[in-house]
Formats: sequence, C-alpha cells, structure tokens
Amino acid sequence: MSTNDNPACGRADLVRDYAFDELVPADRHSMEKHMASCVDCATELDRLRLTTAALRVLPDVEVPRRIAFVSDKVLEPTQSWWAAFWNSGARLGFAAACVLSAGLIFASTHRQPEVRTIVQTASTSQAQIDAAVTRAVSEAVEKTHADDARLTQAALDAVDAKYDTKQRELLVALQQSYAFMQKQSQMTAKAAYAQ
Amino acid sequence: MIFRAVEDADLIARTRKGDIEGFNLLVSRWEKRVFNYLLRLTGDPDDSMDLSQDVFLKAYQNIRKLDDAGRFGPWLFRIAHNEAYSAFRKKRPETAPEENFFERQTAPGIAIDLSLAVRGALDRLSPEQREAVVLKVYEGFKFEEMAEILECPVSTIKSRLYTALDLLKTELAPANARGGR
Repeated sequence: MSTNDNPACGRADLVRDYAFDELVPADRHSMEKHMASCVDCATELDRLRLTTAALRVLPDVEVPRRIAFVSDKVLEPTQSWWAAFWNSGARLGFAAACVLSAGLIFASTHRQPEVRTIVQTASTSQAQIDAAVTRAVSEAVEKTHADDARLTQAALDAVDAKYDTKQRELLVALQQSYAFMQKQSQMTAKAAYAQ
Repeated sequence: MIFRAVEDADLIARTRKGDIEGFNLLVSRWEKRVFNYLLRLTGDPDDSMDLSQDVFLKAYQNIRKLDDAGRFGPWLFRIAHNEAYSAFRKKRPETAPEENFFERQTAPGIAIDLSLAVRGALDRLSPEQREAVVLKVYEGFKFEEMAEILECPVSTIKSRLYTALDLLKTELAPANARGGR
C-alpha cells in the first residue's frame, strides 16, 4: 500500500488519518508533536493536502431539477400491519362487525326463552304460511284467468259490433243501389212509352 | 454537525407522522450531495438524476426502518450506493457514455489541464477506490460512516482510500505543478 515517497518512520497511515481528522484528540496531539520534528511526515502531509486540494478543483454540480414529493397513497412509507389496518377504511367495518357480534352474543345469552318462543311460533305457522301462499297463488291465477276471459270477450264483442256495422252499411248501400236502378228503369220505360 | 443531525431527526419524525413537507425539506437538504455522489460514480447527469429520484423514493418508503435518525446521511448514501451498483449491473459495459460529463466541468479560475488531469486520474482508479475517494474527499464522511455505506470493514475502506491517494498523488503531481503556475 505504501509507496517509496512515504515516511520512513512508518507513520504514513497516521499522517493520513491526521489529514482527514480521524484521530482522537490524544493521537492528534501526539502526531502534531511528531510532525514538528519528522520532515518525512510533514512532507507527506503537505503532499496529501495538495492532492486533496487538486481533487477539489472539480466543483459540485447543481441539481438539474428539483426533487419533490406530493402526497400519494402509493408512495407512503411502509408501516406495521396494525397501523396500516388501523389507518384504513377496514377499521370501520371491523368495528361494526365487533358491535354486531357482541349484540348477537348478548341476545343469545340473555334472551333465550323469548327466542325459543319465537322459534316455536315460527315452526307452527309454517303450514298456515304454506296454505296462505297456495291460496294466494290460486286467487291470483283465477283473477288472471278472469281478466283474460273478460278481455277476450270484450275483444270478441268489439269485433261483432264492427261486423254488424259493416253489414248494416252494406245493406244500406245495396238498398240505395237497388232504388237507383229501379228509378233508372222506370225512367227508361217512361221514355219508351212516350216514343 | 450535531445541530444538523437534530434537525434531520426532527424532519424524519415529521415524515414518519405523514408530513410529506418534512420529507421534502430533507430532500432539499440532501439532494445536491446525493446527486453529485452519483454523478461522480456514473459520470452521467441524466442517470444520476434518475437514480437520485429513486434514492429519495426508497428513502421515503423505508424511513420507518431507519433505527437511528441521527444516521440518516450514511443510511441515505447506502441506498444511493445500492441504486448505483444495481444500475451498473443492469447496464451493459459497451453502453458507457462516449464523453465523460466531468470532461466538460471545470472550476472557474482553475487551469483546465488540472481539472482534466483530476478527472482522468479518478477514472483510472478502480470503482471501489474511486467511491472511497468520493465519499471521503468530496462528501466528507468519517470512516465509520463509509463502512456503513459500503458495508465493509473500516480497514478495507482505509486500504482502498490510501491506495487511491498514493496513485492520485503520483498522477496529479505534474498537473498540480502546472495548475499552480
């Protein structure tokens, strides 16, 4: 690692640590005393400072465009599963489910007799419900049939009425034609008699 | 430095509470250093800008994993180091930029040949040596912080840095003399 230019006293690394301010105060003070008397180390320190000064001629460059963040759910920092859950919309759903569950448990433990009555009532009325449903269906079917029959009859009546009207109109037309022809033949007979 | 660390810690605490402006302040405080670090590793401003964006995005997303808010700097540069090396692995060697960005960068009032000599000397270092020089000379990190960033022992860091400095000292001696004239 060392080159021929490095101090013969073997403290090259200490000189570098000193140059980069990496020594604890006691070692730093010790090196300062050493370099005051060691020409090699003092020269090495000068060369090192010259090299770093040369490196720093390359300036820092300004950032071409600013980096900025906007509030975006996708970019948000990661968080614990509990924090993520607690800050999410699922919290309300979970709370509602908890309240509902608590209510059901309370009801099942404190209102058992009433529930049993309700269940019994529900089981005995099932036949009545079935009968009522059957009756309602029959009534609905009958009503539908009646409505259909009524509508059909009305349609037939309308057709008959229309037919009668047409017949009457035809009869009147025939009578008018017959009268016209009769009148025309009488006029023809009168003309012939006159000649 | 202590005052600065306290301020960073405060901004980190604000960010953890969901205050994005706190993180934007952190970004504005660190973006130039991160960008220049990446620029000195990659030599490409566009790549460095994209990488900087990724670095701060990852930092924001993982800020709750930072155990010690006072170590934000090394932690951020650790992310930057990983992003840079991940990009190096993805990039094929033959797609290296034809013109190095630093060849166009010179400090005002400094002889151009010294700037070019510095850039050329840095380019001739191994990537590990160059990164050690960048972190120490340009970014001013302590050896312990560099070990944290690069995830290797302090002895390795010192070996890389001092070997690099020996090479740079030899390479830059003539140019230094010309630049000083």
